[in-house]
Amino acid sequence: MIHHKGTSHFFSHYFLIISFLLVNLLFPKLVLGNKNKENTDVHHAEGKKDIDMSKIMMHHVIDAHDWHITDLPGSESGQYNPIQLSLPWILFNLTTGSLEFYRNTEELLASNKYVVAHEHAVPVASTTPITTISVDSAEIDHHNYIVSEDHHGHKAIYSKNAAIQVLDLSITKTVLQIALVCILLLLVFISVAKSYTKRGISAPKGFQAIIEPVIVFVRDEIAKPNLHGKHDKYLPYLLSLFFFIWFSNLLGLTPLNSNIAGNISVTVTLALLTLILILSSTTKSFWSHIFWFPGVPVPVKLLMIPVELVGMIAKPFALTVRLFANIVAGHLMILALIGLIFILGEGGSKPGAGFGIAPLSLLFGLFIYAMEFLVAVVQAYVFTLLTAVFIGQAFEDHSHAHDHSHSHETKHH
Amino acid sequence: MLLLEAFGVMGAGIGAGIVALGAGLGIGTLAGKSVESIARQPEASGDIRGAMILTAAFIEGVALFGEVICLLAVLAGK
Repeated sequence: MIHHKGTSHFFSHYFLIISFLLVNLLFPKLVLGNKNKENTDVHHAEGKKDIDMSKIMMHHVIDAHDWHITDLPGSESGQYNPIQLSLPWILFNLTTGSLEFYRNTEELLASNKYVVAHEHAVPVASTTPITTISVDSAEIDHHNYIVSEDHHGHKAIYSKNAAIQVLDLSITKTVLQIALVCILLLLVFISVAKSYTKRGISAPKGFQAIIEPVIVFVRDEIAKPNLHGKHDKYLPYLLSLFFFIWFSNLLGLTPLNSNIAGNISVTVTLALLTLILILSSTTKSFWSHIFWFPGVPVPVKLLMIPVELVGMIAKPFALTVRLFANIVAGHLMILALIGLIFILGEGGSKPGAGFGIAPLSLLFGLFIYAMEFLVAVVQAYVFTLLTAVFIGQAFEDHSHAHDHSHSHETKHH
Repeated sequence: MLLLEAFGVMGAGIGAGIVALGAGLGIGTLAGKSVESIARQPEASGDIRGAMILTAAFIEGVALFGEVICLLAVLAGK
């Protein structure tokens, strides 16, 4: 516990200055437009612009190595003019055992060792392409060749350097967003903890007043009914999980922020943590139930072994896909509804259609947006509840099964 | 191959429609029964509302599993 007296020492001006310097020296580089004004020869019909809406939608949802904010005007004609935060690439070269650091994508490409394909750094034998004729990705021997697209969508095929293997440890958009969520969580909860030392048991104020009912809700509705007496041991994890998922889902809905549960690596990690917690709190009766299910004839017992094992893996798998799919589907729906304006307006050549669909599209989009706030908290609640249920099932004592009906107090409101 | 992409998109479209049908059926039944039970016992409406939102999240989770598979079907052809 951090004890503070008087003013908030933790966030004093020294801390802010040092963190500002660190952030600016080490990491991101804010890119405002493109200094090399390239001359492109992209031809279009009169006023009609090619809008690849699915590409724009996917670009908003997937992880990236540049935090793209917007484009400067003039980028519709094919020029590459972004306003974005270039994030560093950190690659661990498994063959040479060295850690390589590149401040942004330009530096990575300038090192002449990699090309970027689908936000991955692929080691290539040479950075001159084999051919720039566009072929279908399915017709290429993916073991030896890689198709890389540049900013204008021109594809080129490069020969892979199969000898080098790299591990991508970069600071991507998702990683930076997770750090922001963690900073927000620390700000809120350190303040709440400080108010408890300052105020004790008198009436709560400020953040404490908002957070306390939620903590009590998680303890009384999620932890206590499912964890049969050992809830104090698991409450830190359950509270962290609940608030992390809720705050990250909410932040993902605000402008200039990205969603992290839309990246399946994040949800897989959360589910793996739950799986590790489940496995570490199992008892002998749990494993005997899996491998030798009691109360059924022997052939059914043998059948139940793979069924129970698959069930044990399927539960965290369902957790990851549920959270991932809910968040991604919500964001894609909002983007699709807004994108409908641009699709029907055909990039500016049919403004009447665009303006016509705009009120409807915005209304539906707003409705889905409001529902996403509900989904944010419900998905956090469901993830935490199922985690508590599965952990409770791991150390549940089945011999007390008939006592439960007598000893459970009735719910009163 | 363009044929593979085309079949992927077609399968994904039909699949997503059927998934939405399943979700609509499930959550519709849920909503009907829960509204009925609120009408029978209005004092329990708080409990029922909580249970309704929770179980709707589960059913929607299953529907979205299907959606994710449809998305994979579209991307597999590319």
